[in-house]
Amino acid sequence: MSEMETPQRTEQSGLEAENAQLRSRVRELETELVEVQARTNAAVAQWQERAYWLDRWHLDLNALMRRRGASEFRGLLRAARSVVWAAKRARRRLRGQ
Amino acid sequence: MSAVSVVIPVKDGERFLDELLSALAREGPDEVLVIDSASRDASREIARAHGAEILEIDPREFSHGRTRNLGAEHTGGELICFLTQDATPCPGWLTAYREAFALGERVGAAYGPHLARPETSPMIARELSEFFASFSPGGTPVLQREGDETFLSNVNACYARACWQEIRFRDVAYAEDQAFGQDMLAAGWSKVYAPGAAVLHAHDYPPAEFMRRYFDEYRGLRETSGHVEPFDLAGSGAQVRRAVAADRAWMLERGIGGAELARWTARSTVHHAGRKVFSALGSRAERLPAPVQAGLSLEGRGAAPNGDGAGGAPEGASPVPPPRHVPKMLGGEVYDVVARVREQGPAPLLPAAPGAAERERLRLAMVIPPFSRGSGGHNTLFQIFTRLEQRGHACSVWLADLHGYAKDVWPAVLRSEIREYFAPFEGPVYKDLSQWQGADVAIATGWQTAHATLALDGCHARAYVVNDHEPEFYAASVEHVLSADTYRHGMHCIAASPWLSELLVERYGTSSEPFQLGVDHEAYRPRPVQRRRDTVIYYARHSTPRRAVPVGLMALAELKRRRPDLRVVLFGAGERLHASFDYEHIGVLSPEQLSWLYSEATVGLCLSLTNFSLMPKEMLACGLPCVELAGVSAESIFGEDGPLALAPLEPARIADAIEHLLDDEEQWRRRSERGIEFVASHTWEQATDEVEAGLRHALRERERVPAVG
Repeated sequence: MSEMETPQRTEQSGLEAENAQLRSRVRELETELVEVQARTNAAVAQWQERAYWLDRWHLDLNALMRRRGASEFRGLLRAARSVVWAAKRARRRLRGQ
Repeated sequence: MSAVSVVIPVKDGERFLDELLSALAREGPDEVLVIDSASRDASREIARAHGAEILEIDPREFSHGRTRNLGAEHTGGELICFLTQDATPCPGWLTAYREAFALGERVGAAYGPHLARPETSPMIARELSEFFASFSPGGTPVLQREGDETFLSNVNACYARACWQEIRFRDVAYAEDQAFGQDMLAAGWSKVYAPGAAVLHAHDYPPAEFMRRYFDEYRGLRETSGHVEPFDLAGSGAQVRRAVAADRAWMLERGIGGAELARWTARSTVHHAGRKVFSALGSRAERLPAPVQAGLSLEGRGAAPNGDGAGGAPEGASPVPPPRHVPKMLGGEVYDVVARVREQGPAPLLPAAPGAAERERLRLAMVIPPFSRGSGGHNTLFQIFTRLEQRGHACSVWLADLHGYAKDVWPAVLRSEIREYFAPFEGPVYKDLSQWQGADVAIATGWQTAHATLALDGCHARAYVVNDHEPEFYAASVEHVLSADTYRHGMHCIAASPWLSELLVERYGTSSEPFQLGVDHEAYRPRPVQRRRDTVIYYARHSTPRRAVPVGLMALAELKRRRPDLRVVLFGAGERLHASFDYEHIGVLSPEQLSWLYSEATVGLCLSLTNFSLMPKEMLACGLPCVELAGVSAESIFGEDGPLALAPLEPARIADAIEHLLDDEEQWRRRSERGIEFVASHTWEQATDEVEAGLRHALRERERVPAVG
């Protein structure tokens, strides 16, 4: 009788150990998930903090830039900016700075 | 190959009818039906000569929708084409339509471009070519589905009989094709713009007739789709200038110059300006007297069809005014999510995670209803939720906005308002529940959030923070029924008083535990100000019916009769109430201002017909004895003879209770001291402890009873 019980008990304690190991792993993963969620929350909140005025004025810059003429307008601004910068550089050079 | 019928409504159409029917003969439809409204010219003879079937109708019975339905009923083709009497099919017209219907399974209609006749004015020719080119810049057939352009024109269109049978033309005087275009796309059919199915067609009227035609068209559009043409001098003037410039450019491209260019420029200016004015008038026609409408209309119609306008509805016509089509404005109905949960049950919860209830940090997601500054319930929620966040839980806030109250408030603004109005919450705020990320506990708050929370998946447990017994906020109504329903889906309730908790358990059989509302002792404390002996302050928030303001005012009126020199101050509402006695109105105050008011007054009055509010506790914290209603919820917190003086809902008895406090200095002192002592332990930290215990209880219950909602 005791000879039969011994392998059963060994098997059971093996299962219990595996069970405890799995539970511990689940706890680790759950803790990890909370960490990830907290970091995600912080990142989204940070972006919401930065996007306040865009949201306040209902400005969706991606949609705005998809509109006809937006890229051209941006190109125009960049061109104007480069002219201003070139003029500033030339003025500095003339002043010998 | 599908049989094709062609239907052509005609009235005095001899000018182009022969050309049209000859072109049709070349295209080879199976059947041609001409519906004649008592033409006085040779239209019928021409039709007969071409072998077309003729259906004669009384012109008084004509309407664009009704007559076309009649034509479709009198023909048998699987495809039904409609042409107007001046639209001549170009070669390949019918083949292009047949190909269009082969583009998809649910193609219900197709339409082709209108090409200008050689004698057409440049304004119309340009507009036509640019308008139709915009549907297909590449010149190939384009399939249009719901959400795409709804334009459809019975000048030149073809319908699948199955689609027509399902949708049918509305019985409208005008713009039946536009209405059909909207209706068919909404019903899941698609349509095709077929560039090859062109007709020669142009409405070149003299200028005055053009304007009157626009009047008719826009009146029809208003009647079918509700469209109102915008009109303001500066904007409309700019539109006219742009249109004239475009006409000139178009003419110059085609070599028109000199005097002809000048003449057409003048015509173009008159045309576009007149069009703008008459289309604006047409879409506001209902504001004009019937004779004026008749004068402006090319059809001579005075008012909406079947109305009693001078344009003449047929004799014996129904006096029912014409219905106005209201286009779809919402993506769904307000309580769709409620119906879904009631029908299908809550979304399944995740399997219980062993030991989750004991884990130090949890993922918590709170679903809130829309709010405004000063919302007491939201203040409670955020005082607690912010503290939970400070304890290390990963917290997020989700707005369930069933009615779209906050539809124009974007998430970052919502978050900023929460921080400004309530507490310094650091986490993210979401408006869109489709971005849901799951949580250890999803927390419902107001009743409007409960079903939305029940529909969220990816949660280990759900809990319901209940601030009040909300069914009592409503008379017999859907809201009353649905708010009661929120307690019946197995969410563990965390209720804002023992009274409320017991009520939920007894009436709804739900699991529940109470928490005590906290007091911000930093703000609410006795201030260094002389306490007056003649001042009663009353929280008279009339817009909240559960505050029993009419009874409060009667009690104060009684008190003023007994003590005419009593100073009465009403606060908590922006509007001044009409009362039978003199009082001082002080409006809505900040916590800091309130604490000074409470420190100066003699007696506070605050009535609650449901769960008590924070106000009595805050008054007590400032050493101000307060009168509340007996027999509702206050006893569950303060006891029957605690720091609060309780009175039944009777004006004289409330006046008695106030008067005792005014007269009996010993009683006043006792209640004042006991009040400060009593609320000293009622803090938001304590409330947070209790709510956190409730959330962990919900997780524990989930482990114990896997099926719990």
